[in-house]
Amino acid sequence: QPPGKPELIRCRSPEKETFTCWWKPSSDGGLPTNYTLFYKREKDEFYSECPDYITGGPNSCYFDRKHTSIWTMYNMTVKATNVLGSNVSLAFFVDVALIVQPNPPINLTLEWVDRDSGKYLLLNWAAPPRADVRSGWLTLEYELRIKPEKGQEWENISVGPGTKYKLFSLNAGVKYVAQVRCRSNKEWSQWSSESYAQIPKEF
Amino acid sequence: LGDLFDRAVKLSHYIHSLSAEMFNEFDERYAQGRGFIEKAINSCHTATLPTPDDKEEVQRIHHGDLINIVLSMLRSWNDPLLHLASEVQRIKEAPDTILWKAVEIEEQNKQLLEGMQNILGRVHSNDLGNEVYSTWSGLPSLQLADEDSRLFAFYNLLHCLHRDANKIDNYLKVLKCRLIHNSNC
Ligand code: NA
Ligand code: NA
Ligand code: NA
Repeated sequence: QPPGKPELIRCRSPEKETFTCWWKPSSDGGLPTNYTLFYKREKDEFYSECPDYITGGPNSCYFDRKHTSIWTMYNMTVKATNVLGSNVSLAFFVDVALIVQPNPPINLTLEWVDRDSGKYLLLNWAAPPRADVRSGWLTLEYELRIKPEKGQEWENISVGPGTKYKLFSLNAGVKYVAQVRCRSNKEWSQWSSESYAQIPKEF
Repeated sequence: LGDLFDRAVKLSHYIHSLSAEMFNEFDERYAQGRGFIEKAINSCHTATLPTPDDKEEVQRIHHGDLINIVLSMLRSWNDPLLHLASEVQRIKEAPDTILWKAVEIEEQNKQLLEGMQNILGRVHSNDLGNEVYSTWSGLPSLQLADEDSRLFAFYNLLHCLHRDANKIDNYLKVLKCRLIHNSNC
């Protein structure tokens, strides 16, 4: 039998400069099925085919800088074809400005600072590598979470756009674990990998 | 100039979050299953303004020109926002949150326009700015008797507002980094 309808499920842009869309393959009745994605932006007269099926992995289409425009609607469909026929997905509409989900921040460090002026844990991190925050193209806000290594409950802390944070009032002798994530205006990144700090027994 | 930009970016950020919330609320409440998004293609009244649509393009544009583009966009929204704030009162069971946001955005847009005129005067005193803007002729569509057509007209306007507020906010954040922080934010 010909393939069933494929379904476009999601698009994501990590830095508002490129993006990837994924589809769910259709039921194929055991026959090898080939997928093609077509898209048209608001100002385009004709549909174009996906520029890169490889970079984003299986069942995906990657749009590099040259093929990415912001603040325009992409109208997309996926076509599934096997030797007995083909089937087309419903149209999927996406504006790259609205699908930004950054990669997680990197290099989170936790440093115990013991000064006369105060004793605190200094958390420091950096923006995800490909996010262009220097030019202002992408503006990120951060959220931290921290808990005792053996604890159950995370404490979440909104940080705003800064990339360091001083944490007072921690418990002596406890080992803490922390993570950080970021967002542009909507979807949070994944949490960064965990970083640890041992608070001295007396301070 | 740093203070002027701080205020402008705060305003544009605020306007953008209000218009995002307003569009999402409207979309959830009135647009489900009506295929509005498909019809909203190529129908923003500001589409004729020559606005850059990716990072490289934004970076190629001189800051004075980029400020003028923002001014043109803000001017183009004066009139539709005024009518939006009054016509939205007539939508059946429109939640207070939508009504309030429409009024607030109209007011804040004027503030931002004033702020940007100040900024232009400071960075480009010899160029008082063009008076370019796109006229909006959508008022009759907000008053259509047919409910489906009328709701679509609101949907379309809120969709365009959301997009333009996002653009303006993005351009201003780039301008601020370029002019105040020497492109090292
Ligand atoms: Na692929
Ligand atoms: Na591009
Ligand atoms: Na940092």
